[in-house]
Amino acid sequence: MATIKASQGGGIIVITIVIAMLLMLVPLADNLRFARPEWVLMTLIYWAMALPQRVGVGYAWSVGLLMDVIMGGPLGIEAFSYAFVIYLILRFHLQLRQYPLWQQALSIMTLVLVVKIPAVVMTANFASWYVWLPAVTTTVLWPIVYAFLRAVRRTFNVS
Amino acid sequence: MEHNIKPLFAHLPSLNARLLLALVASLVLFFLDTRLNYFSPTRSALSTIVYPIQVIASFPSDASEWISDFFQNRDQLKEKNMALEATNLLNNVRLQKLQNLERENTRLRELLGSSFRLTERVLVAELLSIDLDPFSQQVVLNKGLNDGVFNGQPVLDAHGVMGQITEVTSFSSRAMLLTDPSHGLPVQINRNGLRAVAIGRGLGEPLQLEHLAHNADVRVGDVLVTSGLGGRFPVGYPVGTVIAIYFPQGKAFADIAVKPAAELDTSREVLLVLHTEKQKTKNELISTEDLH
Repeated sequence: MATIKASQGGGIIVITIVIAMLLMLVPLADNLRFARPEWVLMTLIYWAMALPQRVGVGYAWSVGLLMDVIMGGPLGIEAFSYAFVIYLILRFHLQLRQYPLWQQALSIMTLVLVVKIPAVVMTANFASWYVWLPAVTTTVLWPIVYAFLRAVRRTFNVS
Repeated sequence: MEHNIKPLFAHLPSLNARLLLALVASLVLFFLDTRLNYFSPTRSALSTIVYPIQVIASFPSDASEWISDFFQNRDQLKEKNMALEATNLLNNVRLQKLQNLERENTRLRELLGSSFRLTERVLVAELLSIDLDPFSQQVVLNKGLNDGVFNGQPVLDAHGVMGQITEVTSFSSRAMLLTDPSHGLPVQINRNGLRAVAIGRGLGEPLQLEHLAHNADVRVGDVLVTSGLGGRFPVGYPVGTVIAIYFPQGKAFADIAVKPAAELDTSREVLLVLHTEKQKTKNELISTEDLH
């Protein structure tokens, strides 16, 4: 298991995910609540893209399970959505890394739309278009989050 | 680094296999959680882990509230104090009357040979100021198992019924509000005792009274109170007021909208009613005795 030695900074990954969870919970004004970006998913996507050997399907599933518990939804929904998104990221991470940022952001918008499908089906909220708002805000914020997490990764030498 | 990683991958199941594993695990969890309610111990254990995150998330707005309290000026406080004194006086007057009525009620019930307690013991809890999924109507409270909170416990605020506890951990609990689409509450109309079930419709919408016929005696402005049927909620707490009645053509039942009495989105302090099993069975005995 000498290969494990190559990886370090797992604590930093956990800290960024906990901060993302806090951002998911911090109270927002009523009309902004529906536009809350998917902070946790964005953080997971970044780490899976940058360090696919560290953050994988199982990691994403566990974080998703905690999100299910925090949000009080039925267990397993967020868990599987996150696992599925990270699966796609791992499949295509080599291509995604080559994309310009705006193109990455658009791919991520598609993924957030996928994540929102179970919520829409479960609550039968087909009529309310603002279920899909987080996809838009996530897309807009992706370049900033990407730059920030890359800086974090380089500063703390997470690998 | 690449050649370091590759042998590590060879030992792990393939990506597809891992996704399949995640799918199976999720489906099993989902089934056990929603259908069998099997996972509540696991769920509350996990909730205890994430409780610190929830507390930290609620800190900024708690702190800002504290700071604004601290810097409130003297005039504002004086004004508020005067207003509070006025309501206090009014409440005291009402309370005197209520005490009289309570005594009279108990005396009359004693004459009937039944025991009945009008006062339930309550526990005060505070909401954590965090945002949950905007599409489900839930709140997190800062009291848990250690304070005697239990599953299904009624939650009230100063104005009426708010909802009930759905999940308890050692330090916190989660309550489902009346307005959640999966919440139904047995109610009766205060004016004539007509019974119905008030169903939530989510997202700040009014409650709906289900299965009342077109000719049911309901009027706009009727006050609804809990009926105590179903055994979860104590009898007689205000639930809401009827604000609109429609009679859709070709449908068997009227469409009745009820505005909740509780201030669901502004209350910070809530009351948890300690309403014991023993008392409930007593009440049931009374009702059967009354029939004879």
